[in-house]
Amino acid sequence: MHEITDFMTRDHRSCDACLVAVEAAVEGGAWERAGTEFARFRDAMLNHFSVEESVLFPRFEERTGMYRGPTQVMRGEHVQMRQLLAAAETALAERDADDYMGNAETLLIMMQQHNVKEENVLYPMCDQHLADQLENLLPELRAQIDEHLTSPSR
Amino acid sequence: MQALLSFDQAPPFSAPIRFFVSAPLFAILAGLLMLWSGPDLFSSRWTPAALALTHLITAGFMLQVMLGAMFQILPVVAGANISRPLLIATVVHAAIALGALLLAAAFLSHQPLAFRLAVISLGSGLALFAGAAGHALYGVPSRNPTIVGLKLSLVGLSMTVGIGALLAIALDASLALPLLQLTSIHLGWGFVGWGMVLLAAVAFVVVPMFQMTPPYPPGVARHFCWSVLVLLSLWSVVELADWQWPAALLAGALVLAAAVFAAVTLHVQRRSKRARFDATQHYWRVAMLCALAACLLWFLASLLPTLAERPEWPLLCGVLVLSGGFMSVMIGMLYKIVPFLVWLHLQNLGGGRVMAPNMNKVIAGEQIDRQMRAHFVSLAVLLAAVAWPEWFTYPAGIALVVANSWLLRNLLAAVTFYQQHRSTIQGLAPAVATGR
Repeated sequence: MHEITDFMTRDHRSCDACLVAVEAAVEGGAWERAGTEFARFRDAMLNHFSVEESVLFPRFEERTGMYRGPTQVMRGEHVQMRQLLAAAETALAERDADDYMGNAETLLIMMQQHNVKEENVLYPMCDQHLADQLENLLPELRAQIDEHLTSPSR
Repeated sequence: MQALLSFDQAPPFSAPIRFFVSAPLFAILAGLLMLWSGPDLFSSRWTPAALALTHLITAGFMLQVMLGAMFQILPVVAGANISRPLLIATVVHAAIALGALLLAAAFLSHQPLAFRLAVISLGSGLALFAGAAGHALYGVPSRNPTIVGLKLSLVGLSMTVGIGALLAIALDASLALPLLQLTSIHLGWGFVGWGMVLLAAVAFVVVPMFQMTPPYPPGVARHFCWSVLVLLSLWSVVELADWQWPAALLAGALVLAAAVFAAVTLHVQRRSKRARFDATQHYWRVAMLCALAACLLWFLASLLPTLAERPEWPLLCGVLVLSGGFMSVMIGMLYKIVPFLVWLHLQNLGGGRVMAPNMNKVIAGEQIDRQMRAHFVSLAVLLAAVAWPEWFTYPAGIALVVANSWLLRNLLAAVTFYQQHRSTIQGLAPAVATGR
């Protein structure tokens, strides 16, 4: 009953781990490594958004008829997080540790409150409404997320 | 389902911020009260000034921060929106602020009318909040420990205020009530049923997510809040019935539960993956250490009758729990919540065309660090004042005023930052900016 919630939540945690790796590199002044880790983090985030926006959300919207409901809110928050990712990337390119940390901290809180909403409200609703589609939906989600993990860069 | 559909509707900035900005004012008043009353305040926990001071911190500072935060977190963690948040926030804020002031005045003056007005003001404000929050939470499935904890903390808060109201009325009506036991029960529900349950419910989400720690052990997260509330209810009945041994055992179990929560939190936070140990994390660590110290002191007092007879130990416990524990966590959390809210609202106002400055620019880092040191100094001097009131009462009063004026300054800096950038955004993109 929680397959979607569990699977998507795991991907949230994996994005968190990528963010931590960048932070550790920036704090240690290892800018090269920070750049590589940031690319990984950014790609993981963008991939997660795109899986949701192209696979999960359309199925949910189609099934429930809620086009202007929670998925619309989540799409809006994805836009804000994309902007923060871009700001953090600029700060990193300029090797401005304070500016990077400020943008990363804002992104972290934005991400986490977004995750709480998804994990507590939206994913459980998906599990509830899309239970009969799990057989082909889960492999599709898995394929897109795993494809990203195995490809070195996008 | 209606609640779930609209979980984007974060309340307007001014709804939670008014509570946050008011909180330090009550702590400043508490400091001034200390200066006015002098060392006598610390002669026992029952002096009018000590009671007034306690309620300025609990019904003033803590209640303001906790209700302000609830307005913000209910939509996020539970998808539960309080309808007409600005109106409800305005009325609730005014009622509890007035209520806390009246309550402090009532303790100092011992005027029955002041007690009655305080009960009416606090009671109606809280009833309105509990009603609005209860309505928003109604029908939200209790999917995780945090939602359960938030619901239970509302029960804890209602019980605290209910028993408090009964006590306030009993004081002047000379009702034949067991006042000592009722006071203990009021205190138990306030500290544990409301404060600790709400803190734990929030910690289960906030600590792992923002401090990048492993999750709390599932057993602790799942069972903590409700088992504490069951223990608390049993203890209240036994305490009222005056069954001394069972009451002592149950009280011991409650204190042990608080100690376990603090210890587990410290353990989890030691495994934080964050590279920078910031002010919020310092605040959490000191708070949990103070909570553990208070629990240890409680156990020592119940084992050693010579210690239990001294008037200092309940005061020492009180300072550790209120200033060291609850205030520390709350200030630490405010330093995340307020800058993030400023960023979020500015970002929404900019509509993507104007990028809001990141949250670390909202309150200067060195101001946060200095305020934190001032708070820790005030905690140390307060503890010293309990032990040596003649020497340290006045320094403690000054320290409390300084630390909280600084907090107020930092929060107002955030509000000013928001207002300035809002004007800039409105100047740049008049079509986009329509926010409050």
